[in-house]
Amino acid sequence: MEEETFTLLPLHLDPTSKAISSTTTPSSALRDELAKLNSLHRSLLSPDCPNSIPPPPVPVNPKRSAQVNKLRETGNTSFRKSQHADAIRMYSLGIDMALGRPGWEPSGLVREEVSGLYANRAQAHMALQQWPEGAVDAECSVEMKKIGNAKAWWRRGKCLLEMGRLDEARDWIAQSLEFEANEQDLLALKKDIDNALLKKGK
Amino acid sequence: MVDWLALSIPFAYLGILVGSLAVFSNLYRKNKATRAASLAPWFLPHLQRNIYLTLLHLEPEAGSPKVPDSVLKAALLRRATEDIHRLVAIRNAKQALSTLLQRGSVGDDLWQRFQRAEKEIEEELRDVVNEANAFSPNWGATIFQSASEMAQNAHMRTRIDEIQAQAAPEREWWERRKADIQSSFMKELDDDEAAKLPLTGSININNIKQSLAKGGSDDDAVLVEAGGPAAQVQGGAKGKKKKGKN
Repeated sequence: MEEETFTLLPLHLDPTSKAISSTTTPSSALRDELAKLNSLHRSLLSPDCPNSIPPPPVPVNPKRSAQVNKLRETGNTSFRKSQHADAIRMYSLGIDMALGRPGWEPSGLVREEVSGLYANRAQAHMALQQWPEGAVDAECSVEMKKIGNAKAWWRRGKCLLEMGRLDEARDWIAQSLEFEANEQDLLALKKDIDNALLKKGK
Repeated sequence: MVDWLALSIPFAYLGILVGSLAVFSNLYRKNKATRAASLAPWFLPHLQRNIYLTLLHLEPEAGSPKVPDSVLKAALLRRATEDIHRLVAIRNAKQALSTLLQRGSVGDDLWQRFQRAEKEIEEELRDVVNEANAFSPNWGATIFQSASEMAQNAHMRTRIDEIQAQAAPEREWWERRKADIQSSFMKELDDDEAAKLPLTGSININNIKQSLAKGGSDDDAVLVEAGGPAAQVQGGAKGKKKKGKN
């Protein structure tokens, strides 16, 4: 079969905004795809893409990393001063900043940054006893980085324990021990959860 | 002198033999090709590829300018990202499928469809690299790196969004749960006042756990102030707890 067979789609280019749209009512898949295409096109026009071609992933633009780091540091300082709400705000800004990286930058880097920030935000939420938010943030952190992230594992376990969701907490900790078998904190938390389960069973 | 008549017989024999073989092989191949083509394709239609090629061939209508290169580049990147998804799907399926084929668990048709998809994706990758190089000399070398990062980043962000979307329902649940605990605690408290007896065992556990959890936080402090100087006969942690719950 020859390569140049394709289905002609009813597309239209808006002369001013250069946005692509469909001339007929598009199917939902086509509509989603065109929206993604247009947003990608806008991000390609930003100044860090010379010639509107995304640069190769490896040398990363250091500016954004520096900003993310700075936000984390500010958040940590606020946390140490027990200004937890401020710390949460800073961490949230940092998370938005890290997730706002253009798509073609290394995803491993984003994972690293985001997992640290979510773990810290979980801790700040825990300090304010906002257990549900803490649990969700810690889960995000773990989702981004499963290995070498014992703190985040511990934090979600702790949040679940505090909310009295003992069964979930037990399952979570069991899962965490598959990744971090020798972590003392996790083992201690496991003991706490088992004790709580025993008491409840009584 | 050569006897042409006698010689023509073997030549005619050879001609008929070769001719019939050619006709047979031609028919056989055609048949095979149509059978392969009639098999359902492995993937859905390649929407991104269609968009890209449509844009590339879009006739400049009256009053509308040519499609700018940047749009075409964006469309090509989208196409490369979709190719990455397909490539990953193919690679993941290959091992399992060949094992299943060896055991005879799947039919030959499926294997043929798979092989055709594999060939198609190879051609597709080559095509994208050529197109990228046409836009800019070295882009072909990096376009799939960029595309694969884009695919992974997009996947990661959807996961985060999914998890973060649970935050609101979780908070709602927790508010309800707290209200439950509080009301049951209040009930116990009323019983308590009536009976002048210490709290029952089951609530005591809850109570202690919560007071441990709360450990003098801001929340608690606010609640205490809001509660005002309500009955605080028993001092210490217990009294504080009761104020908090009032």
